[in-house]
Amino acid sequence: MLVLERVRGIRVVADAAAVDGARWTGDDVLVLRFAPDEAFAIGATAIEIDDPHAIVEDEAGFMAGPVDLDEVVVHIEWSLPTERPALAQGSIAGVPAKVWLTDDSATLIVHAAYAADLRERLR
Amino acid sequence: MSRDATGRRIVVDGRPVAAHPGDSVALAILRAGEVPGRGGTLCLAGDCGNCLAIVDGVAYVRTCQVQARPGTVVERHPVQGNPALPVVDVANPVAAPLGSNVAVERRRAEVVIVGGGDSGRRAAADRPDALVLDAGEGNEVVAVYPGPTVVARTPAGMLHVEAERIVVATGAAEIQPVCPGNDLHGILTPRAAERLRAAGVALSEPVITVGPELVRLEGDEAGRVRAVVTRDPSAGERMIEARTVIVALGLAPRDLLARMAAPGTSVTAVGAAGEEHPLPPAPADRTAVVCRCMGVSVGDLDDAWSKGFTELELLKRATLAGIGTCQGGACLPHVRSWIAARTGETPDPFTARPASRQITLAEAAADTTVDAFRRTPLHEEHLTLGARMDRFGGWWRPWHYGDAVGEYWAVREGVSIGDVSTLGKLVVSGPDVVEALERIYPCHVADIKVGRSRYALLLNERGHVMDDGMILRESETRFVLSFTSGGAANAEMWLRDWIDTWGLRVHVMDRTMSLAAINVTGPLAGELLGRLGLPEPPRFLGHIHAAIAGVDCHVMRLSFTGEAAFELHHPIDRSVALWRALMDAGRDLGIRPHGLQALFGLRLEKGHVIVGMDTELDTTPRRLGMDWATRMDKPRFIGKAALERTAKLPDERRWVGFSMDGPAPVEGTPIFDADGREIIGNVTGSWHSPLLGKALMLGWQRRPQHPDRVRIDGREAVVTATPFYDPEGHRARA
Repeated sequence: MLVLERVRGIRVVADAAAVDGARWTGDDVLVLRFAPDEAFAIGATAIEIDDPHAIVEDEAGFMAGPVDLDEVVVHIEWSLPTERPALAQGSIAGVPAKVWLTDDSATLIVHAAYAADLRERLR
Repeated sequence: MSRDATGRRIVVDGRPVAAHPGDSVALAILRAGEVPGRGGTLCLAGDCGNCLAIVDGVAYVRTCQVQARPGTVVERHPVQGNPALPVVDVANPVAAPLGSNVAVERRRAEVVIVGGGDSGRRAAADRPDALVLDAGEGNEVVAVYPGPTVVARTPAGMLHVEAERIVVATGAAEIQPVCPGNDLHGILTPRAAERLRAAGVALSEPVITVGPELVRLEGDEAGRVRAVVTRDPSAGERMIEARTVIVALGLAPRDLLARMAAPGTSVTAVGAAGEEHPLPPAPADRTAVVCRCMGVSVGDLDDAWSKGFTELELLKRATLAGIGTCQGGACLPHVRSWIAARTGETPDPFTARPASRQITLAEAAADTTVDAFRRTPLHEEHLTLGARMDRFGGWWRPWHYGDAVGEYWAVREGVSIGDVSTLGKLVVSGPDVVEALERIYPCHVADIKVGRSRYALLLNERGHVMDDGMILRESETRFVLSFTSGGAANAEMWLRDWIDTWGLRVHVMDRTMSLAAINVTGPLAGELLGRLGLPEPPRFLGHIHAAIAGVDCHVMRLSFTGEAAFELHHPIDRSVALWRALMDAGRDLGIRPHGLQALFGLRLEKGHVIVGMDTELDTTPRRLGMDWATRMDKPRFIGKAALERTAKLPDERRWVGFSMDGPAPVEGTPIFDADGREIIGNVTGSWHSPLLGKALMLGWQRRPQHPDRVRIDGREAVVTATPFYDPEGHRARA
């Protein structure tokens, strides 16, 4: 049974170089780089960033939970990255989702709006 | 109504029928002296469609392939026509249909062997690691897809196997007769007769076995065979009395799955499935039915051939022979023989396509990744309030809470809340943001003051309406944009694409699924917000950031309902708390939530467009009567050139309002001219207004005549100016 819990943090869209150099405040901050100009820092409570037009928002719209990668792979029709750590993004069982991959764990991250559907599909 | 020694019985058309251990449903029915299907030759091997019935609620089941388990409920198909479709629970159309939760197991295998008979066992002996799928053990392969992927129906659900190589060892099927009377009861293939005898089922006497000399079968009033007519080389036709006729016409390869494989796929038919077998004599009698599944006669083949369909694949498409239940299992040898007799050449069998067996939609769709429908953070709240949920614009949304008219009145006369979390929400920021938005939107943007907003259409290069929403200014270089629920994803891509194309410095963040939104609307909406910490709500088209019941909200004063309305955009993890606070604080004001049904009625009375529902692919602002939303004095915006060009063309149709007495017609109803002769448009929105007491409609009407009176749903309707309600807009601004 997939257990997903809400994750909170800060989401930012800014110049890519500014995102590279962003300074995050918080405990055990995990920065997920969604795109060159976008990041979501789970656990972050504040950010310093060198872009006056950066969009910085508190973010509570994602759910996350540990997952057995073998059980997820059968629902993926694209290749997972081989390097670790890595953020893989794409359709999982037809639902837009992300997987944070480390050497010894995999964490599924999905918009809360899709969480119930994804949980049912990965039952 | 007897029981066998074990006492097991199945139920056939409401009557108990004894079943022996190991009996198939068809065998149990035959053992009881009855017939499982509508007649025709029984093979009892799953090759034909002559024993179909509804089994445990599933129609088109080959009863010879289903074990008779105690309590199995069988309903025979009607003699004429098709079995009725299962009735959807109209009270809850989104409830899971019967048998929809079909499990899927996915596996990989180097070799898959289909069939567990002699040739299958021989193939398996060569490859002990192979996965053997044997229908006799309940693992019925129904499809081979490119990949190749083997799809099987198993006792546990569906099995999808990615294979390197597939060996089809499904043996050969017995050829069925094509002659007048081949739809009678009492006709068997030799193997079927063997099976029945082995099971202790006595065949009705006299029993006659015939071969290619068969001419026709004669039946009695009950539809059972009474005589067989054969051709005797010396004596012409000869009639022999028979109550059971065993027809031996040879074999045809059971190679459907092998023919299903894409070219180049490693699929091999072995054993009898891979052998050529002699074809039966070409059927000649025009009245003989060659394809019982689709009711195609030899005469139909003649007629199609005479029209130029002179190839097997063309003949199949023209007559539909071979596309039915048995997928050509019965008719294919005869049709090939029929063509060979005409052309002197035997055509190859036609291409086979999944599925080889009737499977339910649930089995076909099992574990497929259809579009996911999102849920707002208030989903459970809606269910608790008794909402009937439906899919709309990519989301699950409440259609109503049991009383759409009551919800309507709450908006018009009191206060109501609606979940509009589904609206698209983008934040855009950057030094070039005004320039970007001026180019993208057909309205002016630069003059929107901070704290103010403006309604805007989104056009494509052809000037066609893609979406609509609001532009809200938060600072000199930051805006919030809203879009329709269904159009938000496309609008985001559209914006990003153009901003990148132009090389403008603008950041875009999609907040659609990060923020929820509740629409508080009705003449008492302001009072309700005042109770929750907002004594001075923004004026019409204004927006502020404020705490409502302790929840940080972006409060937007808009109106889609025609009444005062405030959208409260807020973090989704606070949505339930805010919703409950509003409901609690508004209890003495008669607050109730409203669903989409009421919302659509409210907006219809105001004549507001819903892009995607009212619009077509080539809808321009002019056709919607929304020229006011395009500012042609702007130097440029996407779609401007097309609008300038098309403004000189005749206006072919327009989107207008109609009204008439009586109930509201369904959306999509055609609109006729006043004489009721010519269709001049269609209804896109329809609602019986509780306030105005008549049916109000929005719809398309073709020019040039623009008649004031039309006919809709057989009644006279009048073209009526919109908004139907509060045309001055006083209530929304109150």
